[in-house]
Amino acid sequence: MIPDPRNKPFDFKPFEPQSETGKPKFGLPSEVKYCEKCVISNQRPNSAIEIKHTVETKKQTIFFSEDGVCDACRHAELKRKINWEERARELADLCDRYRRNDGSYDCLVPGSGGKDSFYQAHLLKYKYGMNPLTVTWAPHIYTEWGWRNFQRWIGAGFDNYLMTPNPLVHRLLTRLAVDNLFHPFQPFIIGQKNFAPKMAEKFGINLIFYGENEAEYGNPSKDNSKATRDNKYHSTNSGNVTYFGGVPDHRLIQDFGLTKVELDPYYPMPVEKLEAAEIQVHYLGYYVKWHPQEAYYYAHEHGGFEASPERTPGTYSKYNSIDDRIDDFHYLTTFIKFGIGRATYDAAQEIRSGDIDRDEGVALVKRFDGEFPARFADEIFQYISIDEVNFPTSFKMFESPSFDRSYFDALANQFRSPHLWLFENNEWQLRNTL
Amino acid sequence: MRKIRIIPRLDIKGPNLIKGIHLEGLRVIGDPAEFATSYYGSGADELIYTDVVASLYGRNSLHDIIMHTASRIFVPLTVGGGVRSVSDVESLLSVGADKISLNTAAIEDKTLVTKIAEAFGSQCCVIEVQAKNVGQGKWTAMYNNGREQSGLDAVDWACEAVKLGAGEVLVTSIDREGTRKGMDLELTAEIAKSVNVPVIASGGVGSKKDVTEAAIKGHADAVSIADLFHYKRETIAEVKSALNNSGIAVRST
Repeated sequence: MIPDPRNKPFDFKPFEPQSETGKPKFGLPSEVKYCEKCVISNQRPNSAIEIKHTVETKKQTIFFSEDGVCDACRHAELKRKINWEERARELADLCDRYRRNDGSYDCLVPGSGGKDSFYQAHLLKYKYGMNPLTVTWAPHIYTEWGWRNFQRWIGAGFDNYLMTPNPLVHRLLTRLAVDNLFHPFQPFIIGQKNFAPKMAEKFGINLIFYGENEAEYGNPSKDNSKATRDNKYHSTNSGNVTYFGGVPDHRLIQDFGLTKVELDPYYPMPVEKLEAAEIQVHYLGYYVKWHPQEAYYYAHEHGGFEASPERTPGTYSKYNSIDDRIDDFHYLTTFIKFGIGRATYDAAQEIRSGDIDRDEGVALVKRFDGEFPARFADEIFQYISIDEVNFPTSFKMFESPSFDRSYFDALANQFRSPHLWLFENNEWQLRNTL
Repeated sequence: MRKIRIIPRLDIKGPNLIKGIHLEGLRVIGDPAEFATSYYGSGADELIYTDVVASLYGRNSLHDIIMHTASRIFVPLTVGGGVRSVSDVESLLSVGADKISLNTAAIEDKTLVTKIAEAFGSQCCVIEVQAKNVGQGKWTAMYNNGREQSGLDAVDWACEAVKLGAGEVLVTSIDREGTRKGMDLELTAEIAKSVNVPVIASGGVGSKKDVTEAAIKGHADAVSIADLFHYKRETIAEVKSALNNSGIAVRST
């Protein structure tokens, strides 16, 4: 039974100003530090293997050097020294090795139709003469502008397979990921990561291109010195227990009424199969200098990509990560769990790219981080509410199957770590700010 | 005969001239003083300077830039971004601005328009309406450089601001801004027909033909242009000569 967080007494004591805050949640560093160059804090978790993610999982976090600079900024410095002409030649060589003229696709570009996937697919087809197949794992709920941009992307000359996961399964997994991990975006992350290799295998494609390496945002930089992505992120070894929404798969079947075939789209490819298919996953960001703002310009120029009609709640930007209505909540939950909201992620990236300076970034974070995203809230709460007609089995597994703002707020409190949060004058505040 | 004014628009962020698409993704173009001097030298009728992040950061940083520019440029300068009070206006006028433009602060406090018009005259008070299309013949007014919805109808708001004392309306189409797809003629015409003060059309100029259309079909009194000039795709002289050839009067360059 998934308990209703409103019925659990909540202990505010550790959140008082003078309280001993104890051990941080999620294995986060106990002392909060902000990078000297950007605005990211040392609480930023690295990308994790989501199918092993449970409530007990301890986070690995971004590395800060002695002088207080984060790994992502270090990487941005290195990026300025890279010989991009040489990298472009490496890319041309790679394409020459994989290019096919036999009527089959020679590479696969997974993406949403946002500015980055537009840039990737377009560059590979029109500059490097490749024959890409594009594949898309649908967002939870498309925004209207996200859908239009997706159409513009394939409209620029691509075949595309759009995988829309069964909404009843996806809604349930999203709800579980929210209740167990406070991570509404998790089902999308899992599906999206695992979808591409499976599609490549189906079509006999040996080369997959992703855009930027996660290390640009602070994953261990050793992951970033090579062009390929480690198989551990999109494959699995047999025998390991797989979790979705923090629940082991066998329990999803026994207790929540899901079937094997309903879960199938979420599973990664077995590592043996991946290796046998000789699929390589490359980051285009290794070969070409990635600048998100320039990708926006490129996508606009070559496909009429549009920005969202208003700034995204929680930040100032209108051009990145705008196609899924649940996204606003993804960043609100990172703000609650790690003290890092959408404006922090956006500003840190733009500082590293040289689009804004640190003072501007600090002002933006202070102004927008953690703002409650009211615009789609009712729709999202409805989306993750479990009704009896559509979910006859799992309905019984929730103390309160329906979800609303008071549920959200109570649940949020359970994911606050006392080393980050202070409760004073009936208000939540971060203990340490920029 | 009505002469159409050509007004290069300089959007500023910090020390830099910038340019976006849909007012977003602000790309650094260069030194604003250099561009301003060159536009003045090549026949601009006026210039518009806007600190596009003034409201976002709650700052007002154009003072110094205007001071340096105004001493070298002898066409009317309209300055906007972060104008929040009568004393802000006074300070900008004292360093050489001829007009100020208002958006965010006027939406937050409509009486500001009247206060400024009463203190310095309507001719000095430009209202910028940043319009986003929300369906056939409908536009909503945005503020904070196109980031926030005001809930106001753009045409109604332009009319109201003029009643409150604004002497000129700068109409920016967010849908067209930076896109080179042509101006929103319907929007411009709708506002031009609804107000009895000059209307400056802004956003979407892809070529001189779009400027001519803004004058003829959009009934604009002036056209503000950024992308076309910043990226040196066409010159002011070329735009003016195209207008001339279509029988539209311009001031000589």
